[in-house]
Amino acid sequence: MTPVTETLPATGAAAAQAGGAAPQSAAVTVEIFEVGGGLAAEVRAASGASPMACYQCTKCSSGCPVAARADLMPHELVRLVQTGQRGSALGNRFIWECTSCHTCVTRCPQQVDIPAMNDALREIGRREGVAAKGTAVPVFNEIFLETVRKRGRIHEISLMASFKLRTRRLLDDMDKAPAMFSKGKLPLLGERVGEKAKREQIFRKAVAAAAAQAGDAKGTSGQQGGSR
Amino acid sequence: MSYVFYPGCSLDGTAKDFYSSTSAVAAKVGLEMPEMEGWICCGSTAAHNSDPLLADALPAFNLQKAAGKTVAVACASCYSRLKMANHHIASDPVVRQRVAAATGAHYDGATPVLHLLEILGRQMEADVEAAVVRPLSGLKVACYYGCLLSRPPEVTQFDDAEDPTLMDRLLETAGATVVDWPHKTECCGASFSITDPEIILDLSDRILEMARLAGADCIATACPLCELNLDMRQKDIAAKRGHRYDLPVFYFTQLLGIAMGAAPKDLSLGSLFVDPHPLLRSKGLDPDKQPRVAEVTR
Ligand code: SF4
Ligand code: SF4
Repeated sequence: MTPVTETLPATGAAAAQAGGAAPQSAAVTVEIFEVGGGLAAEVRAASGASPMACYQCTKCSSGCPVAARADLMPHELVRLVQTGQRGSALGNRFIWECTSCHTCVTRCPQQVDIPAMNDALREIGRREGVAAKGTAVPVFNEIFLETVRKRGRIHEISLMASFKLRTRRLLDDMDKAPAMFSKGKLPLLGERVGEKAKREQIFRKAVAAAAAQAGDAKGTSGQQGGSR
Repeated sequence: MSYVFYPGCSLDGTAKDFYSSTSAVAAKVGLEMPEMEGWICCGSTAAHNSDPLLADALPAFNLQKAAGKTVAVACASCYSRLKMANHHIASDPVVRQRVAAATGAHYDGATPVLHLLEILGRQMEADVEAAVVRPLSGLKVACYYGCLLSRPPEVTQFDDAEDPTLMDRLLETAGATVVDWPHKTECCGASFSITDPEIILDLSDRILEMARLAGADCIATACPLCELNLDMRQKDIAAKRGHRYDLPVFYFTQLLGIAMGAAPKDLSLGSLFVDPHPLLRSKGLDPDKQPRVAEVTR
């Protein structure tokens, strides 16, 4: 974003002329960034969350379970969204580490729905191809939803296997599947349910709606409100 | 009230023990809840992370099948997604219309959804009390609710958001001593089980540590994700963080089942990773041994 540059005149000159001893300060040049608008409105349209209501009390960050380990704290992310700093707001790791635990919004005096905001930021970031590198969450989500579309229910063994193949994390947590298997926690055959055509329809409509929303967001960013 | 049970995918797999102990407890208290026919996955975290319409339409597809009954849920994650979809659909006509277009049927978001803790703790307290044949005397339990039951409170309307007590009261009814502790609703890392286990280790470590500091012998959970994280990950936490707990982590239904004298095979205690038998034996609560007559007629 390009800032507007403005020079503020020196202060204290008038008081000094009148014989007072006002402190002097030299002229300063400041860069003014346009605050708000675009990104906050897009988030609001996509999720119903209102980042603009935040007054930076930091209560959200005090209770956030991942704030200490992430590259950003929730109140900082809200500020980035308020000030429309797209790159940092969409490309951070924090949004991929948020567990959607809802602690922040439950305690926020302004009811800023940070988990909903994060859902929207993930979606926008993924769409624009600027999501942080190194997170496996989008791949997992994709495989998960594909399984639901095809089979109707999640079959954990197949889900874990596809995820490991896609992310090449074959050796991570190697002991887990056999351990769960021996506890009878991983049935080899998953259930499949009927009504496949109906499921396909739900997924098709969802993809179409997301595409329409993406088009909308481009055309109307800056406009407040909207429906999730 | 008449119920239909929505088990969700976890209860079909990693949380089979939650399903069997739930059924055992339901049978003991006379709670009838046949499994919903043709249910599908609620979409879980993956759907709301990536697609708002899907996150509402998948639950709606299931909720429409309830046909006037109350949907009973045991998995906290399914509970949260079903409640959230109801909230969105009931409060926003645009969402309602989009969901109708996607599922091909009108749905108003009004199917009641209750968690098992709400049903047993609010509506069947007397039945629970009457079914206890073997009080869990001397067992000190940290009741862990996790995130998804109590938050956001305006959506789930479950209990106090910061200090829920439904599970505490139920386990007290079953004769256990519940500990006072501050991590009832702290997050365990939930869905990062497969994608980023390090998060689980960090968060679950804190919860286990606090339970131990509070003097608990064990933890009771109401969520398949929480149970697996707190139980299965103790081995990794010991190996990678050097913190050893050996704290058994139960589903609350397993503890209620023990108190109600349910059959050991239904309790499925052998599927827990931290073996709870030494603890139970030390309290005279070995489920493989029938309760003595004195216990039965307390
Ligand atoms: S708690 Fe709410 S108002 Fe306070 S900093 Fe966080 S988002 Fe802003
Ligand atoms: S919902 Fe996300 S941002 Fe909010 S407290 Fe939980 S992890 Fe932190």
